[in-house]
Amino acid sequence: MNLSEGVQLVSFGILTFLMLGAALGVVLSPSVVYSAFLLGLTFSSMAGLYLLLNADFVAAAQILVYVGAVNVLILFGVMLVNKRQDYRKETGLLLRQLLTAVVCFGLFALLGAVTVITPWQIAEGVTRVDSSVIALAKHLFSDYLLPFEVASVLLLMAMIGAIVLARRDLLMEDPETGMPAETELALPERPRETVVSE
Amino acid sequence: MEFSNVASQLNAWVIMPEGVVILTLLSVLLIDLIVGRTSVRWTPYVAIAGLTASLGALWLQWDPADPIAFLGGFSGDTLSTLFRGIIALSSIVTILMSITYVERTGTALGEFLIILLTATVGGMFLSGANELVMIFVALETLSISSYLLTGYMKRDPRSNEAALKYLLIGASSSAIWLYGASLLYGLSGGETRLTAIAANLAENADVPPLGLIVALVFVVAGIAFKISAVPFHQWTPDVYEGSPTPVVAFLSVGSKAAGFALAVRLLAAAFPLVSEQWHFVFTALAILSMVLGNVVALAQTSMKRMLAYSSIGQAGFVLIGLLSNSVDGYASMLFYLLIYLFMNLGGFTCVILFSLRTGTDEISEYSGLYQKDPLLTLAFSICLLSLGGIPPLAGFFGKIYLFWVGWQAGLYPLVLVGLITSVISIYYYIRVVKMMVVKEPQEMSVAIKNYPKIQWTLPGMRPLQVGLVLTMVATTLSGILANPLFTLANNAVVKTEMLQATLKSPEATETARAIAPPVATTPPDPQG
Repeated sequence: MNLSEGVQLVSFGILTFLMLGAALGVVLSPSVVYSAFLLGLTFSSMAGLYLLLNADFVAAAQILVYVGAVNVLILFGVMLVNKRQDYRKETGLLLRQLLTAVVCFGLFALLGAVTVITPWQIAEGVTRVDSSVIALAKHLFSDYLLPFEVASVLLLMAMIGAIVLARRDLLMEDPETGMPAETELALPERPRETVVSE
Repeated sequence: MEFSNVASQLNAWVIMPEGVVILTLLSVLLIDLIVGRTSVRWTPYVAIAGLTASLGALWLQWDPADPIAFLGGFSGDTLSTLFRGIIALSSIVTILMSITYVERTGTALGEFLIILLTATVGGMFLSGANELVMIFVALETLSISSYLLTGYMKRDPRSNEAALKYLLIGASSSAIWLYGASLLYGLSGGETRLTAIAANLAENADVPPLGLIVALVFVVAGIAFKISAVPFHQWTPDVYEGSPTPVVAFLSVGSKAAGFALAVRLLAAAFPLVSEQWHFVFTALAILSMVLGNVVALAQTSMKRMLAYSSIGQAGFVLIGLLSNSVDGYASMLFYLLIYLFMNLGGFTCVILFSLRTGTDEISEYSGLYQKDPLLTLAFSICLLSLGGIPPLAGFFGKIYLFWVGWQAGLYPLVLVGLITSVISIYYYIRVVKMMVVKEPQEMSVAIKNYPKIQWTLPGMRPLQVGLVLTMVATTLSGILANPLFTLANNAVVKTEMLQATLKSPEATETARAIAPPVATTPPDPQG
């Protein structure tokens, strides 16, 4: 084992420890704010793992998108909701947690087994990638051109949709009579009086 | 690599129909921006004209010489052309029925049209997508627009609840699908094109690896969510009840057709190695959908909820065609989807008309409708009887074809369950018809007693009338004159290379080896 392999191994160990610890903290921490910050740490360690895999662009995108945007958005959400609430003690909580743990562990065991058993087709030797950005760009403008373009339509529509949902609607008037419309932004069907169980 | 060389390699004219819809979408957006609110009187017709032009473009492109476009990213073969046609057509009828509905609720029609058109584009791209990345982007375009449409009545708590439920379940199913797709990518040694994945897997493994089965299960979870097959159906009744009714109509036909297109392409092209396993999984899904959908529909009191459960049951019937694994099987599936488009959209047009006039969608409120509105009663009865499969109507021929094909393929338990559950379904469809027609005048419901005078000349009623008559005539005629539709569906399957490769030999593994990696679709060397 030469020096670079040793460094890689040590950094892999540190990153994994950070990521698993932070992820456990996200789930177990009683405070939402701590969870959100620990989530940021999880994302950052993930970016470190990408760097170890020679994926520099993905690592940068991970930091920008997940830590910079998604995590900040979550923190904003926490801040804006700003509701101090003690969690009510649920009955049978232990049983539920136990069941969840069994299901999660089963899923983990299955996926882990798949990863270990499968004969992955891994390229021999070390592939040297000078700059992953150039390789990605070539793909984006050749065989992945269509998804790249369709994503722009998706983003346009998502923007319009977000504006529609977030804007404050003025009371709209009927163009014919000038009277306010009968129902405002609600389904024309009346809600059911009694909820019928099925 | 020179530019002209790239342009000819991309074969970009194959996505012309989608291009037309995107242009329509942009022009609706710009017209709405520049002209202002008054433009809503004619922008719906711009959208309809654009979609019709797109249908025309699809017609011109029937069976192209070289269907593969964008270096293997998109396939314009006849199968995808027919599916794209179904989605565009369902969008046209949905726009016809949504004009008055959306205006009555006071929400903006321009944005509604834009989001609906984007959903259509997503569905059309999904029907032809031939590569994992493209499938995912198209799937998300369709899904995210559907979430937005579901929550469009934003002051209504039912609409909010529906949108949130749909978003959460949809996002998790997308995530699971993506996990499955990433496993496929890894197992095939870094391929994203479906044919290349199948070829690579067949080359490198004599027995299907465990990872492939896990990938299959995860991918099926994503597909089953879109077609709302039974264990993945929980969102359907609540979303159908809380969404604006035109959106429900689109979800039950357009979105579902896109889901079936994805199922056919993904399963036939990428999973021939585990053909036995996916047939097993889908048989279970089909039986559960038919039984649960049709049995629970019996107990519903709200028309939209009943149609939701009926659409779950109908998805189960269509799956019989998918499972038959023959030319006739796929053709029967397409044939049924074509007929289902008219009869289900017709049914929803009637529900919309009724709820606009009376403000309710309770089944009990329909009693005695015949006395006040014979046309609506006639159209609704025809659509419901056709959905139930009563002989001279279209639904009967569709169902007979599906069951016959299933019987030929030896799927006896599936066909028997289908027959029994379709008898059950006739009960709840006929119950509504009976309520509308047979009731004496004194048994009329309150809503019918206060039924407004029928005036088709009121603004916004014409498109509803056109949609109503159009779907009614199509449902009636396509039963008696089923042959053109039947030929169309059959041609679409016969002329599709991808399916032919899968259907040639019944032995699954042999089939996978027979698919050589197509030369024309090899991507250019990224280094070159």
